[in-house]
Amino acid sequence: MRSSTKGRGNVAATTDDTEEHIGTRGHAPRRAPRRMGPVATAISFFGELLITAGVLLGLFVVYSLWWTNVLADREAGKQADKVRDQWAQQSDSGGPVSYDSKDGIGFLHVPTMSGEEILVEKGTTMKVLNDGVAGYYTDPVKATLPTSGKKGNFSLAAHRDGHGAKFHNIHKIRNGDPIVFETKDTWYVYKVFNILPETSKFNVDVLAKVPKGSGKTKAGHYITLTTCTPVYTSKYRYVVWGELVRTEKVDDKRTPPEELQ
Amino acid sequence: MYSWIWRHLPGNGWVKALISLVLIIAVVYILFQYVFPWAEPLLPFNDVTVDNQ
Repeated sequence: MRSSTKGRGNVAATTDDTEEHIGTRGHAPRRAPRRMGPVATAISFFGELLITAGVLLGLFVVYSLWWTNVLADREAGKQADKVRDQWAQQSDSGGPVSYDSKDGIGFLHVPTMSGEEILVEKGTTMKVLNDGVAGYYTDPVKATLPTSGKKGNFSLAAHRDGHGAKFHNIHKIRNGDPIVFETKDTWYVYKVFNILPETSKFNVDVLAKVPKGSGKTKAGHYITLTTCTPVYTSKYRYVVWGELVRTEKVDDKRTPPEELQ
Repeated sequence: MYSWIWRHLPGNGWVKALISLVLIIAVVYILFQYVFPWAEPLLPFNDVTVDNQ
């Protein structure tokens, strides 16, 4: 920019190819590449690095909050279809209900949080949760599955943002709201009785059979939802507790319980 | 850096623009497919479980 605005006097002073030439085919004089001083070059390079870093971070945000959702929803949909197909086949053949731990064990319905069903799978590793599903804990405290019929805590985790963001709207859940877990032949209807909006990520006691901090002192059939909070970060954990109110047999048409209607 | 790349691309302005576009798409693809999935677990944005670690 500098050399070209300085005019003709500059041309004679430079020995490189920066001399302006008039276009032979009637083009306007072309701005020729010019050589910058070492300081200007360094600053320009540094500036480009900063711009690149900015664009890179922007792209990472797009990746985290949009692209991972696209991938996860696709994967979750595929796996959910597989589970539904299996259920349909099993009831056609009249065979016994088998729970393949690799596939999903059922679906979570929380109307106040999300209009869609959330597939529940075993484990809370990133590999499991990144597929846009909720996982039940196997570590550090093993979850008690409602299908076992035993008293205990059915503890679950899912992503708040990205990778399906299945628990994104967990803050919309209020006390008394229903949480319904659907298996092949039973609806487990839970009712939310306590919410812990912020706790340390080391607070594993919330997963205990009688969850600490929930206000319960006796064993029962509990459900615990955990995710990270505040949104877009992982500083704390958000916990929602529910207690089993009743179970309902799944009928032929899979009519949902009244809480979901 | 970018002007250096631009100067070393072959062809006229349109060809250069086209090649640049292809290069940008290639870079974004590599980032989304390989770099970001690798970097994500190293960053503290997506830990949702409570644990002892």
